[in-house]
Amino acid sequence: MQIDSLIEKSLLKLFSHKIKLLFFVFFLLTIFISGMRFLETPSGYRGFVENEFTHYKNITDLEEKYGQIDVLSYAIKPSKGDIFQKDVLLLIDELTRNSWQTPYSTRVESITNHQYSTVMGDDIEINDFIKNIQNLNDKDLLDLKSKALKEDSIVDFTLSRNSLASLVNVYLQVPEGINFEEPMVFAEKQQAYFQKKYPEIYLGIAGTVQYAHNFQTTAERDSTTMYPIFLILITIISYLLLRSVIASLITLLIIIFSILPSMGSAGYLGFEVSPPLIIAPIVILTIALAHSIHILSIAMTNMSEGMNKKEAIIESIKINFVPVFLTSLTTAVGMAGINLGRIPAISEMANTVIIGSAFSFILSVILLPILFVLLPVKEGRKPILVLRYLKILGDLIYKFKYSFITVIGIISIVLSSFLGNIYFDERWDNYFDRVPKWLEVKNVVDKEFGSSFFLFADITTGEDDGIADPKYHKKLEEFTNYLENQYTFINVTTVSNIIKSLNKNMNGGESKFYDIPDNKALISQYLLLYEFSVPYGMDLKNQMTANKADSRLLVRINYATATEVVKINNEIINWINENMSPYKTNGLAGIPIMFSYLNTENAKGLMRGLVFSFFFIVIIVGLALRSVKYGLISIVPNIVPFVLGFGVLGIVSGMVQGPHQTSILISLGLVVDATIHFLTKFQKATNMGLTAKEAIQYCFKYVGYPIIVASVCLFIGFLFLTQSIFISNYIIGGMCALIIGIALLVDLLLLPALLLLSTKKV
Amino acid sequence: MIKFISSICIISLLLATSVFSETDEEKGFRIAKESYESTRGYIDSKSDQIMILIDPKGNEVVREISGKNLENMDPDDGDKSLIFFNKPKDVEGTVMLSHTHVNDDDDQWLYLPALGRVKRISSSNKSGAFMGSEIAFEDFSGLDYRKYNWKYLGEENYEGEMCYKLESYPKYENSGYTKRVGLTDELLRARKIEYYDRKGDLLKTIYFEDHKLYNDAIWFADTFHVVNHQNDNSTIYKWKNRQLNIGLNKKDFEKSSLMRLAD
Repeated sequence: MQIDSLIEKSLLKLFSHKIKLLFFVFFLLTIFISGMRFLETPSGYRGFVENEFTHYKNITDLEEKYGQIDVLSYAIKPSKGDIFQKDVLLLIDELTRNSWQTPYSTRVESITNHQYSTVMGDDIEINDFIKNIQNLNDKDLLDLKSKALKEDSIVDFTLSRNSLASLVNVYLQVPEGINFEEPMVFAEKQQAYFQKKYPEIYLGIAGTVQYAHNFQTTAERDSTTMYPIFLILITIISYLLLRSVIASLITLLIIIFSILPSMGSAGYLGFEVSPPLIIAPIVILTIALAHSIHILSIAMTNMSEGMNKKEAIIESIKINFVPVFLTSLTTAVGMAGINLGRIPAISEMANTVIIGSAFSFILSVILLPILFVLLPVKEGRKPILVLRYLKILGDLIYKFKYSFITVIGIISIVLSSFLGNIYFDERWDNYFDRVPKWLEVKNVVDKEFGSSFFLFADITTGEDDGIADPKYHKKLEEFTNYLENQYTFINVTTVSNIIKSLNKNMNGGESKFYDIPDNKALISQYLLLYEFSVPYGMDLKNQMTANKADSRLLVRINYATATEVVKINNEIINWINENMSPYKTNGLAGIPIMFSYLNTENAKGLMRGLVFSFFFIVIIVGLALRSVKYGLISIVPNIVPFVLGFGVLGIVSGMVQGPHQTSILISLGLVVDATIHFLTKFQKATNMGLTAKEAIQYCFKYVGYPIIVASVCLFIGFLFLTQSIFISNYIIGGMCALIIGIALLVDLLLLPALLLLSTKKV
Repeated sequence: MIKFISSICIISLLLATSVFSETDEEKGFRIAKESYESTRGYIDSKSDQIMILIDPKGNEVVREISGKNLENMDPDDGDKSLIFFNKPKDVEGTVMLSHTHVNDDDDQWLYLPALGRVKRISSSNKSGAFMGSEIAFEDFSGLDYRKYNWKYLGEENYEGEMCYKLESYPKYENSGYTKRVGLTDELLRARKIEYYDRKGDLLKTIYFEDHKLYNDAIWFADTFHVVNHQNDNSTIYKWKNRQLNIGLNKKDFEKSSLMRLAD
């Protein structure tokens, strides 16, 4: 065949310049690898969204007017009693003071420094709500508690409704391109200090800053704990499989030089080391490992059959060139489909794997043969036992081909009936539920405050001082009432709260004056007075613009799934369109809204990606095998694992999230690999004039073992990924392992049976 | 002009003697004190003031006020001031009276025309933003040497002129700052001051511009240009029609006169 002689010629040329080539290859690899220094540290949740994404733009627009939304919250909860105890208040007070030292902080809000106004006739005192804590007696403490529970801007913000927990909120203004490392280091020092000083009081770090920081730490922790162990494990596996130290060394080199330049290329492309990128090296590793095992095992089989090293490797490359190329291509095509999703961090992972599959292909057919010839590889002991079992399996399949198909068919039908349980949704708030510290603080904050995530709405009047208009406050009230009737929103705070309490204090502190006065000038004058009375960092700039044309309201949202949030938000936008005029707003903005829309659109994008990738993979397989029949047959073993896998998921939980979809796209390209290897060999065997039965035995002899090996490695690789503390990686690892495990069984049991059925010449 | 020449003579003389024994702290204090004292003796003053708040996108908001000041000769106490708010329209007629104190909370009264009453406000508010601008109330008395501890850092060339570089640390416990670094020129005029926030980061810079010599004796900067380095907002604060020593009625600076003054 033309291609075979071309391969032979090229390889011989390669061998005659092997040393020169070796230096050249390593020189090129070094250039790629050096790009790793450009790998960026993750920008938290912001790396999960494109800058132009509408619901992210709503956030950045809001931030431009009112400052960054990111908040670092300390959750404080004494083991006994409520927070109105001296030592708890002393802790909060000291923490509040210290928090002004937080890098990039602009504002600190707590129950102690809350600006509280008291009235004595025409004297108004605006001061910290709680001070001189050492001198407080029990009656003072009770008094403070009852006052605090009456303050709209304390309850649910710095104090839980049952008074059992308190938050200290530190607002940050972090320059673009800088992550939350410094503030978090500061916060963790505070935490350690106070835990030592007050061991009886729980102090956890929450808020969007901790949430964003989790993206960085989980990636770091995953890569430092998972990679070394995994690499060692793989080395051991490849030794066990190849029974040759040198051969496993070659495998290891191919793996390392597939991974590092891919990560380097990711660096040149400006990718971030966010948690999903952790997946890339593991997938690249398994691809490179599979390639090496396929090529090396056949080369070593050839050697044991009497060929010399050069002949053995040339023959092996001849057999493997097309399937290795095709499997790299299908993996890349599967990954390419992920780009139709909407999450940049995951697309970056997919694109890194695409680069990695290119590297692993090129290295497997260039570097690997050179190393094989250069290094003293000895023929390995053959895994006789496995081969014998495979031969028995081949016979069994031939004998019971109908039963195999029927049994697998029935299992597929039964499991596919559970596919009905499956529904698409997303829980963005559980990304870090495998991080113990985060889970702990989340349980405190979610229980006592509903959630540590806020939503905002910018409500504009279009004219200077428009927010002083009593009509504006009427509208705000209508909107607030409407929102508070939604079950997922816990409370809504607006600039009206401040005006109401000022009006009360200006009228002798009588509670009947806790209302909006019907006089625009008066409201303006109240605001002027208030601005003169609050200290540094406590002003109103975070809730109204300098020209007082716009203000923002704040909503604390209870947990809701993506679908719920999208549905509610659409209702809210309808309500706004019908009721808000003449005032304007883009509706609610914030991380919960952003992630909900992002995940919903991501799911749609991934669906398109799935169709795209599947279509192209089928075409590639069909073209490669130059046969419609084999193309169609190849579809069966490649769909069944997904039906079975998701059938199992349907039994277990039912909720399909973005990571589940991503796992289809990752495993699709990998599952096809085994089919390609099997079918190309089967075709080769039938072309050689073997009967179908003999062809099956030929396949089992030559590719049965490498397929098992490659699948087992992939299976282990993805199973390993379930050790990730990032929930998406955990899901992807689990689903891919499940699908690949099933696919191995299907490829060994169903595919041969199908081939036997479809071939007349038995 | 005599004061101008004499101050130069004094400075040169002091500079010559300073070689002997003065520490950086003493020198800083001395320059700050002389600088402050060179702005004293105005007795009373009135002016129109215009404030332009500029956000990072360049959107501008204009505030207009007029003010009256009364010098306090008591070396341990601060001046008295009246602020009349003219623009925006909604706050027109609002008047604020302040009796400032050196290292204590100020006394403040506000007359709100829409309420028709005078309210006394007590708070530790000197560090808050003045009418939403980047200037804090405490910045207006930022040259008062008694409010800070000082340190002389050396000389620095600024816009072609030799300036004294002075570091100062607020004594007032509720100050919004931990440190200031300023440049004072040879005429003892403040040229710029950098402000460091509570965590020690650079917060903002005030550039003192449009220096004018009033009554042939006192230099005042008629423009404060404030740039906030953390949120990229800026404020331009201009004084117009400034008049000194015009014989204002001291009684105007008492709470009882506020309502009358508002009309």
